[in-house]
Amino acid sequence: MALIDTRDLYKIYQVGDVEVKALNGVSVAIEPGEFVAVMGPSGSGKSTFMNILGCLDKPTRGKYILDGIDVTATDLSKLAGVRNHKIGFVFQGFNLIKRTTAIENVELPMIYNHTPAAQRRKKALEALEAVGLAQRAYHLPNQLSGGQQQRVAIARSLVCDAPIIFADEPTGNLDTKMSIEVMDLFTRLNKEMGKTIILITHEPDIAQYATRLIKFKDGQKMSDQRQTPTGAKLSATEEEEHA
Amino acid sequence: MLDSFLAVFKISLKAIFANKMRAALTSLGIIIGVAAVIVVLAVGTGTKKSLADRFSNMGTNIIFLRQPWDLDSSISSPKDVTMDDVRAIREVKGVAAAAPYIQSSFSVKYKNTSVSLSALATDTDILKAYDWSVEKGRSFTEKEVSDYAQVMIIGATSAQTIFGDVDPLDKTVVLNNIPFTVVGVTKKTGSSGFGFNIDEGVLIPYTTAKVKLNTGGWNNSNRNALDRVVIKAEDFNAIENTKVDIQNAVRNTHHIHPLGKDDFQLDDMASFVEQAKSTGTMMSLFLGIIGAVSLVVGGIGVMNIMLVSVTERTREIGIRMAIGATSWNIRLQFLVESMTLSCMGGLIGIIIGIVATQLLVKYMPSLSAQLSISSIIISAGFSAATGIFFGYYPAYKASKLTPIDALRYE
Repeated sequence: MALIDTRDLYKIYQVGDVEVKALNGVSVAIEPGEFVAVMGPSGSGKSTFMNILGCLDKPTRGKYILDGIDVTATDLSKLAGVRNHKIGFVFQGFNLIKRTTAIENVELPMIYNHTPAAQRRKKALEALEAVGLAQRAYHLPNQLSGGQQQRVAIARSLVCDAPIIFADEPTGNLDTKMSIEVMDLFTRLNKEMGKTIILITHEPDIAQYATRLIKFKDGQKMSDQRQTPTGAKLSATEEEEHA
Repeated sequence: MLDSFLAVFKISLKAIFANKMRAALTSLGIIIGVAAVIVVLAVGTGTKKSLADRFSNMGTNIIFLRQPWDLDSSISSPKDVTMDDVRAIREVKGVAAAAPYIQSSFSVKYKNTSVSLSALATDTDILKAYDWSVEKGRSFTEKEVSDYAQVMIIGATSAQTIFGDVDPLDKTVVLNNIPFTVVGVTKKTGSSGFGFNIDEGVLIPYTTAKVKLNTGGWNNSNRNALDRVVIKAEDFNAIENTKVDIQNAVRNTHHIHPLGKDDFQLDDMASFVEQAKSTGTMMSLFLGIIGAVSLVVGGIGVMNIMLVSVTERTREIGIRMAIGATSWNIRLQFLVESMTLSCMGGLIGIIIGIVATQLLVKYMPSLSAQLSISSIIISAGFSAATGIFFGYYPAYKASKLTPIDALRYE
């Protein structure tokens, strides 16, 4: 059974008298362990699609089954728990809470599922270790570089053992070197931990890290094809060039 | 669950301490409000208690008859209160005692000692009315009263002041150049209430005072006029009926037409106490309202800051929601935050209120402020309630944000 299964998703906004179809009948099935890149120009509906997949929004019509849960039949207010258990989010702007330390940021999702304090700390440290930032656990976000902040955000997406990571332009605010760092990390999480990763990007280089590429245009899926990730190679060549 | 609540609490504390100055200013309204409520209630409680103490010393069965100070001008020829009234009142059912009462100040001389004292011109019924008792010697006889005898009963403290260790009985003291023989000494009452304090005064027959001591409060154009009549009712619970009977008796002696107005006034302690208490309650209420208003103003300050805080942290709310916070979690966080703000304000306010009350007790003892536990509990409760009440709307507003809108907010 597919981990993510959408059938004929429509999202229609009423702007004055005009109906705007942000999504116009999208059906996608994603299996566990896939690394999917979603591309498309702005206004193509990819963000709307991602919001629905991330249980942050609901479609106007259509069906969305996430890991056996019929999201479209679930009340929006009850989706908080689904997000907590099934999905880890990584955003373009990192979205860390500024006045709390890295480890407290990573602990945050566990506060909302009532994990005991001692276990919270332990799991948060493990997650930070997995992204290579254990020694920065007690730094505030503004004491970390952009790449490090994004890695903290990734650690935060891991702590609840959610099977899926949604990454919305995760490298958008990062320079090339940091982007490579972050994308390598995603690749590792995908390969070693079996995380299903869904990545929105408009940079073809970044999309190259994925094993499957879905392109959107005008609210519809334009193409959907599997690919051999070449991102790792790219980064290797770039490193050689730098050297 | 508790762990998570503690975590939310910690988050709220952090948010507050991230903006210390702002938190302090926000709490200021609550601090002032709570401190004001505590001080005001302390003063109110103290005043009421001291009033009650003073009145209970005087006996609540007592009724005073006197001519009103603000006599109705429509009464053409008001009659003085006289012994005729006293005699009539003594016949009224339910009256235990009725005594004439004329008070004046005099200097009392004994050998080389001269002391200024309060003298009460009355008769022996006064002892019954006020529950005073003669400890040494005796009271006046009826004959002494009717014969204008120059006799005196002396209060315990007065006796000590004038005579020291000498036995006062049968000694002669001079009051306004007229010699009086001491026939009795009253037992110390220890009262310091309103009106006449027997411990520090003397009693003489009203007849003697009227005829021979024609000065001071006793110098009245009407030889028979009394300051007032002190009446003791037998039963406190029937005091209203007794008062009506007395009123009828006095109207009778004053020959007042059935439709005419009273030219006299009857006051009983119960109505004094009630009046004093209700004045005290009104005062407490009024001052309490001022305190409550400042609490409300403080609460509005809390609400204002919480609304600003929600707007400022819209994005943070979005992040929390995206990673699994429910609307309820968000609402709780902001409620805890506003409650913490107002409870911290409340706590500081309570401390300031207690310190201020202690200072009042020390430097303004006449206010007789008295700290009451209930006022502390009330104001603590009020500040928490302020936090909930004025924090609810901002918290509700925060919890109603949708995650996408909140995340998009710049």
